[in-house]
Amino acid sequence: MTAKTRLRLLLSVPAIVLIFVFMILPITNMIEMSFRTPGTSEPFGPDYTGMHYTRILGDGYYWGVLARSLLTAGLVTVLCLIVSFPIAWHLSRARGLKAVLLYACIVSPLMTGVLVRNFGWMIVTALNGPLNETLMALGIIERPLRLLFTQGLVVLALVHVFVPFMVLPINNALRNIPESLTEASASMGASRMQVFRDIILPLSFPGIQPGMILVYVLAVAAYVTPALLGGQMVSVMPTLIVGELTGTFQWPFGSALAITLSVSTVIVVVTFTMLTSKLMERAKA
Amino acid sequence: MSAAGATFGSGRSVGLGFSLLIVALYVFLLMPLVTIVGASFTSGLMIEFPPQGFSLQWYQEFLSRKDLVDGLLMSLRVAAITAVVTTVIAVMAALAGQAMAGRMAGWFHLGMTLPLLVPELLTAVGLLFFLYKIGLGKTVLGLQFGHILMAFPYAYVSITAALRQVPPSLEEASSSMGATGWQTFRLVILPLVMPGVAMGAIFAFINSFDLYTISLLLKPIGGNTLPLALFDFLTYEFKPTAAAAATLSILLSLVGVVLVQRLVGLQRAF
Repeated sequence: MTAKTRLRLLLSVPAIVLIFVFMILPITNMIEMSFRTPGTSEPFGPDYTGMHYTRILGDGYYWGVLARSLLTAGLVTVLCLIVSFPIAWHLSRARGLKAVLLYACIVSPLMTGVLVRNFGWMIVTALNGPLNETLMALGIIERPLRLLFTQGLVVLALVHVFVPFMVLPINNALRNIPESLTEASASMGASRMQVFRDIILPLSFPGIQPGMILVYVLAVAAYVTPALLGGQMVSVMPTLIVGELTGTFQWPFGSALAITLSVSTVIVVVTFTMLTSKLMERAKA
Repeated sequence: MSAAGATFGSGRSVGLGFSLLIVALYVFLLMPLVTIVGASFTSGLMIEFPPQGFSLQWYQEFLSRKDLVDGLLMSLRVAAITAVVTTVIAVMAALAGQAMAGRMAGWFHLGMTLPLLVPELLTAVGLLFFLYKIGLGKTVLGLQFGHILMAFPYAYVSITAALRQVPPSLEEASSSMGATGWQTFRLVILPLVMPGVAMGAIFAFINSFDLYTISLLLKPIGGNTLPLALFDFLTYEFKPTAAAAATLSILLSLVGVVLVQRLVGLQRAF
């Protein structure tokens, strides 16, 4: 390594310090915090204990909330995929000005804060809001649906938050499929269904898998949406954790909850990756 | 829809069905933003869409609310500092990352994008304890560090992508003609990657402006960012003032989208 290269590598020091000091240390610190005894005047006590984990694992209530968090995130991920695939396909085939406008439509929500977007859904799904009015005009429902503070609205808003995260990687994968490939197989008599199943879907998997993992990980830990749109009615792990930390100041117990959630998420993601590794290999072959 | 037409749309009804589906999905994507902007201009007293008439009264109301305006100013200040600091650190890190090879480069890239991959809530919880421990709990400086950390990967990724477009031969030529490393950077590389650097700064600014969970847990005493103030406002008074505040935030993201399109093009940026 020349002196010049070494000097250049030194430029990474501030960034490494930033990530190490303000992220890796604090998260390691949180693991330690989860084994602290509860504090009386301070947010945590001086001694160590495993009681928070035995409390969580021994209480059906926490199992229920954890299960709801993991399942909700799973549902959000699958719905995201269903919504994102057609958008990504359509986008990957667009060119010129049309492509720019479509990108703008997808990226504008992405660059708008989650809170603002959730607020938008409060207006859309209000009792006299556009959704209820449309459904009533179409004769699908007779009286307006009350959607605020329901699980359904939380799922809908989360799907909306994460669709761009799924569209972009799938779009990038689809862009790499040459049009000649789909055209050739169609001209050789493959039906649209066959082209989709045998070519497009497998080749887009390198975009689908990371997209699904990213959305799942972010959805499991999403706080704003359930807090604003689920209210007190829909408790999930993130709202519980923030409640412990800011409401009752039980830092050790809050940390134990956060770590339980993280470990469960990692288990789900690793299982998913293993189950889908065959599909990934097939896409690369 | 040339290829979609060729493979999916050869049956007319399938093509039409697909087009309708796409329209419905874009309505879904844009609906929340459109309703907020619409509701902010209502002349009525309630948040509703479509709005009644047209007026700017709720923007006036917004400007008269100290809590919201203070939140806006705080958010703008924190975001501006975040954008500047993050961009400088990210340019340095991207230059270093470019000099790495193989496995090391891969690990470095992973480390640099970590704040993007780990859920914000976890980072926020860890930071809450850590800042308390080092005496920065509930301070503006602590909040600022949290924002810089969260926004960093966006700037880093944009700038790294821009650096990759610069042919290495340029740098070699410049140094073989006797330019120092700093001169090469200032006079050759920086002008070429400037659009990417500017885009990184825009992403960092917007990300910081929108952050919620980190700000909630690291909230300094007596200081609210706009998203925090807006959340409180929404829980206690559901009035079109909130739509006016949110519209400003949407406007900011639209400006960001236009700038990114101008600088490097949306397709290359995302």
